[in-house]
Amino acid sequence: MRRGLLAALLLAWAALAPAQALRAWSAGAAPPLELQDLDGAAHRLADYRGKTVLVNFWATWCAPCREEMPSIERLRRSLEDKPFAVLAVNVGEGARVARPFVDAMPARFTWLLDRDTRTAKAWRARVLPASYLVGPDGAIRYSALGALDWSSDEVRKTIQGVMK
Amino acid sequence: MDRRAFVTSAAAAVLPWRIAFSQSQWRSFEVTTRAEVDFAEGVSRVWLPLPLAADTEWQRSLGSAWSGNAARAEVLHDGKYGVAMLYAEWPAGHRSPRLELTSKFSTRDRTVDVSRADANAKALSPAEHAFYTAPTEWIPTDGIVRDTARGIVKGAHSDVEKARAIYEWVVDNTFRDPKVRGCGWGDIKTMLETGNFGGKCGDLNALFVGLARSVGVPARDVYGVRVAASAHAYRSLGVSTPTISKAQHCRAEFYAQGAGWVPVDPADVRKVVLEEPPGELALSDPKVVAARKRLFGSWEMNWLAYNMGHDIALPHSKGPKLPYLMYPNGETGNERLDQLDPDAFKYAISARETT
Repeated sequence: MRRGLLAALLLAWAALAPAQALRAWSAGAAPPLELQDLDGAAHRLADYRGKTVLVNFWATWCAPCREEMPSIERLRRSLEDKPFAVLAVNVGEGARVARPFVDAMPARFTWLLDRDTRTAKAWRARVLPASYLVGPDGAIRYSALGALDWSSDEVRKTIQGVMK
Repeated sequence: MDRRAFVTSAAAAVLPWRIAFSQSQWRSFEVTTRAEVDFAEGVSRVWLPLPLAADTEWQRSLGSAWSGNAARAEVLHDGKYGVAMLYAEWPAGHRSPRLELTSKFSTRDRTVDVSRADANAKALSPAEHAFYTAPTEWIPTDGIVRDTARGIVKGAHSDVEKARAIYEWVVDNTFRDPKVRGCGWGDIKTMLETGNFGGKCGDLNALFVGLARSVGVPARDVYGVRVAASAHAYRSLGVSTPTISKAQHCRAEFYAQGAGWVPVDPADVRKVVLEEPPGELALSDPKVVAARKRLFGSWEMNWLAYNMGHDIALPHSKGPKLPYLMYPNGETGNERLDQLDPDAFKYAISARETT
């Protein structure tokens, strides 16, 4: 089952539209982000100061969200020895729905729950997947709306530029 | 049980719309719009309306997701009303642009009792009052519009009395014209000048809004799409299939001090008159009487609200402004696609209940 899901996700990744790109951010400071993970532990974006953080808003029903996740995991693995983290924020579903998906997804993200969708609204993540690249100083540097191949050389180069 | 009580309860059992709206529960839906541009020439663009951004007591957005092969996609807003839309763009040479948007939302039936003060009703600021009594390009509030409205509200004092008089006037004097394409564009000045009061929701509810605004009652159109069958035995006020590509419907609200925004829908009363079997019902028909009573102060929420905007200039387009954004819009080679023809555009909208 898990193998089948992985195969399906790899196939989906192969079909990702390559034309989507990260867009430079100019819409102001990062809104606060303070959410619980699946086990109830609190996480604050402010605690990640000094790291480059990919904040990815997703939902289990969002097909393009599911499609891009393997590429985010490849990106994370390629930067494992660098100050880089992925906060994967589920929008509006809760642990009961999110946990089976997370358990089946071979990705080591910090999985957070935005149960009442307030954080997504504050970040203006109205359409999923919505991703924000936050620099070590806590400022949003880039955003992406829609599925992206996060493991492409172009994206990796942009992220490494943010890390400097 | 005495005879009178029996007759009353028997009548209640067969009369439509007897379920109290206040008992209604939240329901969740998923609406998916698939748009494709056939025979693309030059740059292609598509604009899809998004659900209301702000959560209300009757609709909560649970998020949207998009997929497709657009080179660029972003959420954009019109500058005046905050109308939200998903914008997608394809460069020249792209032969088969496609875009899919899925929006999830929860909704519950809405009722405002105008006879009771609501302590939680938000007061309109002077700026908001001015905004919602101002004319739009298609809804003037002077000349024949104001003259007509003044005659209608003669003797009415409060905003509720004025809105009620206008509502009853619209129901009594207009009719649903099935020959009108789409929902009608709401050219209310022409309607009043020609005396042709036929139209659909975009015309009849715009008439309510324009007449109300012209006598100082804040009012607005709310644009959206029907997503489910009516639970109140009105075949004409819902959709019977998952495909809702032609189920767009706009409603209206007016603002009353102490009550807040009050939902109304005189256009749907006229839809009941025309379409409820066996058709062409009299205004005295019990089904029409019940709908007429309910649709001043209530909305059945088998419907998704998109926005409340007028005179929409589509971002990145040199084409004309739209009276409203309720349909998918597109252009290719700087030429607008026909938003009222899903098969030619082409687009398909489907809905399903998820709870």
